[in-house]
Amino acid sequence: MSRTAQPGTAILRRAVARNGRRLWTGTALAGLYQFCAALVPVLIGVIVDRAVSSGDVTALLAWIAVLALVYLVLTVSYRFGARQLMRAIAEESHRLRVEVAAKILHPRGLRTDQRSGDLLTISTTDAEYTSYFLDHIPRISSALIAASVSAVTLLLISLPLGLIVLIATPIVLATLNLTAPLIARRVADQQSQAGKATSLATDLVTGLRPLRGIEAQDAAAERYRVVSRRSLAATLRAARTQNAYQGASSMLSMLLAGGIAITAGWFALTGRITIGEFITVIGSAQFLIEPFGVLAVVPSWVAAARASAGRVASVVQAGLVLPEGDKTLSGTQAALRLEGVAHGPLAGLDLHVRPGELVGVVAHRPADAEALVRLLAVPEAYEGTITLGGERLETVERDEARRLLHVEPHQTDLFTGTLAANIALRGEDGDPLTEALHAAAVDFHEDGLDAEITERGTNLSGGQRQRLALARALLARPPLLVLHHPTTAVDAVTEQSIADGIRAMRHGPGSGYGTVVITSSPALLAAADRVVVIGDGAVTAEGRHAELSVHDETYRQAVLR
Amino acid sequence: MTSTILPVATPRESRAWLGAELWGRRAETALALLAGVLAAAASIAPAYALGLLVDRIRAGGDAGAVVPVAVVIVAAAVVGGVATGVAGFLLGRLGSRMLADLREDTVATALRLPATTLDRSGRGDLLSRVSADIAAIDRAVKEVLPGMISALLLGVLSLIAMAGIDWRLGLAGAVAVPFYVLGLRWYLPRAAPSYAAERVAIAERSQLFVEGMQGLPTVHAYRLEDRHLAGIEGASGRARDISVGVFVFYTRFVGRINRAELIGLGAVLVAGFLLVRGSFVTVGEVSAAALLFHRLFGPITLLMATFDRAQDAGASLARLVGVLGMPTERRTVTEPPAGWDLALDDVTFGYDGASPVLSGVCLRIAAGERVALVGSTGAGKTTAASLAAGILRPDEGQATVGGVPVGRLPAQTIAIVSQETHVFAGPLAEDLRLARPGASDDEVAAALDRVGALAWARDLPDGLDTVVGDGGHQLTAAQAQQLALARVVLQDPPVVVLDEATAEAGSEGARDLEQAAAAALEGRTALLVAHRLTQAASADRVVVMEHGKIVEDGPHAELVAAGGRYAQLWAAWSARATGA
Repeated sequence: MSRTAQPGTAILRRAVARNGRRLWTGTALAGLYQFCAALVPVLIGVIVDRAVSSGDVTALLAWIAVLALVYLVLTVSYRFGARQLMRAIAEESHRLRVEVAAKILHPRGLRTDQRSGDLLTISTTDAEYTSYFLDHIPRISSALIAASVSAVTLLLISLPLGLIVLIATPIVLATLNLTAPLIARRVADQQSQAGKATSLATDLVTGLRPLRGIEAQDAAAERYRVVSRRSLAATLRAARTQNAYQGASSMLSMLLAGGIAITAGWFALTGRITIGEFITVIGSAQFLIEPFGVLAVVPSWVAAARASAGRVASVVQAGLVLPEGDKTLSGTQAALRLEGVAHGPLAGLDLHVRPGELVGVVAHRPADAEALVRLLAVPEAYEGTITLGGERLETVERDEARRLLHVEPHQTDLFTGTLAANIALRGEDGDPLTEALHAAAVDFHEDGLDAEITERGTNLSGGQRQRLALARALLARPPLLVLHHPTTAVDAVTEQSIADGIRAMRHGPGSGYGTVVITSSPALLAAADRVVVIGDGAVTAEGRHAELSVHDETYRQAVLR
Repeated sequence: MTSTILPVATPRESRAWLGAELWGRRAETALALLAGVLAAAASIAPAYALGLLVDRIRAGGDAGAVVPVAVVIVAAAVVGGVATGVAGFLLGRLGSRMLADLREDTVATALRLPATTLDRSGRGDLLSRVSADIAAIDRAVKEVLPGMISALLLGVLSLIAMAGIDWRLGLAGAVAVPFYVLGLRWYLPRAAPSYAAERVAIAERSQLFVEGMQGLPTVHAYRLEDRHLAGIEGASGRARDISVGVFVFYTRFVGRINRAELIGLGAVLVAGFLLVRGSFVTVGEVSAAALLFHRLFGPITLLMATFDRAQDAGASLARLVGVLGMPTERRTVTEPPAGWDLALDDVTFGYDGASPVLSGVCLRIAAGERVALVGSTGAGKTTAASLAAGILRPDEGQATVGGVPVGRLPAQTIAIVSQETHVFAGPLAEDLRLARPGASDDEVAAALDRVGALAWARDLPDGLDTVVGDGGHQLTAAQAQQLALARVVLQDPPVVVLDEATAEAGSEGARDLEQAAAAALEGRTALLVAHRLTQAASADRVVVMEHGKIVEDGPHAELVAAGGRYAQLWAAWSARATGA
């Protein structure tokens, strides 16, 4: 447990530190509130003693007025104290959420094995539970204040009674605290099982169409049922522990309060305290149950907050995939050079793209192409050298590297907004936009581009999405562009027009742009200045498409079918 | 674009569901309530006993008078402690069990919703129901409801106990009730719209978050990190501001609760004062009543303060019960087909009554025959495939296998593999076992082997036990498609529809996939929507569609020779191969 508790504790400590002013103002006001609340049972005793038993109307009115005044202070202090605390909590969970998001989106890549469902839970539920710690502090301190007020009242009435409270209370709390680690473990298990069930439900509903295709809905529902039952079992285990604890704490609290009341009754019967004092003692002892109750459940709250803080820490403090690059390159041209690169299936790959060149890459094994693309986007864990503009790719400052070398993901992701906003990511319009749309053979009408994307573009066909992505990449005009099978979902005629478009937009006279197109489309390969063939992880052939298709039998088989 | 929202249950339907669930577990419910009542009674008993002690003290009783009171208090503490624990557990267990059944039913129903329903409503709403709504109820069941129920029991029992001392004292205490109700009625209508706005802001925040996470490669490639983060920060900030705003109302609501407490307490004390003067009750009884009433403040405040969370859980419940009531695709009657031939008989279909996408389509595929469906984009190929697989229902005409309409076929007669692939999160072998739960390791391996995926699958870090999908090892698009084909092999349906199942793989992968598809289809009746004409060329027969109609039908060689639409398509395809 301590392994995960440590980073969580640091997050909680920081939450306290950076919300200091609001937290302590709120805590002070919450204490005042609690002080007034503790006075209420005292006043009940006074009113019964001074007014009800004596029948004195003036005393009744006077003391009711005092009661009303106490209530006024109580209400006002709560109102303003709680608002301070709420602001602190809302601000903290907002900041945590943004920190988690920033880490996940970090340009150098978050190193994590958590699923996106889990990450979402961390950014929402866990950020919130962590910030609730700021609520626990005033609650704990208020409970302590209430206990102290009651204790002082009791001490003033009778020394032995006060001593019973002061000695018994910590003993009771310490006893109850013994179970805290068990509760923490059960609660953490319950939270993680519930998270798994949520992830599974999300995953299954996301894959609903493929599931339906093989009529596996029953099997999927059964799988969810198993996980749901596991989550239920964890919930019940946690509930058993928590309620056993709750029962024990309520029993001990009642015995404590009852013990005080019995002793006070005995004192009253033997004339050591007055009847009014007796009622006050009963009221205070009874009132004490609540702060005791708060102090008793504190361990499980704090455990939940710490478990959540631990998960927040697991993201916020996780490592990054790429090193911090500090090399900066200037200009709008850069050469890309791979030498003896080994990574996954790649075994000694050499590739050189000069400014101005359009290079076609044919990979006999899909995995080779995937590895190449992955490596250019995230250059880590490889052997050999990859240089951009003469500097090792991973040492170039990330933003700079991505500005110079753009690797368009094969899977097209679109974001909330209009189609136009998804293509012209930096607000480009006019001729450059028209040119890019034309080059990528995007045939939407003007107002069609103003349509909102729904559900990450799933309402668009594969071919439409592919062309949108291509237009987007062309419009960005990166000095080096890597396209990974850009035309797999378009027909042959469109493919030819795209090949022409890419040449026209990026490789006109005097252009210094470099382009790598990984493809087996003859139209695209024919448009390339040079074609590099990768087989078994290394370059096996190189030349112009026309030459290769004549002289190289395996090449012909790969691209000419 | 507006999408139809999935149905939400009316309050009456939600109540009916709740009533039926509780009735179905009446023994458990009764036991939980009994424990709750016992816990409440045990916590009331000491105040009552102490009130009696006040009178003994006033009457000048001896020290022994404390003994029966002490016995009552200790007994109440022991019984109360046990009952509190038991009641909390039983109420929690009841709620958790009901929720477990509810979420399982909801997910099972969601998985059975007709394709057209989801196309119309989008997946977002359904996803938020199976995740956010279930989580909201889960939290309410664990954190809110047991406390509310015990507070309610305690409130009612305390008022009864006060009225038992003297009905006028009970009445005085009850004076607070309308003020509590007024407080709620002031607060809830103000809070509800803010909470709704808060939920919208939270949904927007989550959407941006999910988009950013799922589109991470694109975000990185275009250096959109800051922009996305700013979007998330903006949405998160809006949600924060709304929360803070609604909390201002909440603090004023608590002020109203305090007012109700003051009024009730004052009424009890004043009534007690008058009743003691009239000698209707003793001072001890007034003390007991005042203490009982004071004892309620904490629990009642909890009840009030969590009321909106219970309401929220109620809203989530309505959204889940709404899903439960939706019509699902479940075969009620099945007929064994006479053979494995697939037919579309004069089928017409349009989405949402719009102009038909298909009209009068007739197509016959003999048992074991492999037919390729080709045509330009928008010709209606996918629609025809969906109709043949029974995912869509024709407006007119019917799709049959062996003479039986596809909707009435025994389960797992037809499988369809579409372009939309999904790798299910978890071990690779478990992904395949969705197709046939309980398949042995050998059978799983054989299915992978058949589609040529066994080699790479064995090479994964943990072989077939490697966790794949979301959060696991990322498979390539081609591997994902091979998995989809392997699932079909494992399931072994006699009829298969492939809808551009090889299109996404990239051309080199496409050839492997073509072989995988051919292997998967062997011995089955197959309809194959082919984007790549090499697949059409190797099929037994080619059917060409244009504008929702079949325009040509025949073996590849004959259609090429005939010089029609297919011959044109083939010429374009072949030209592509020679580098144009």
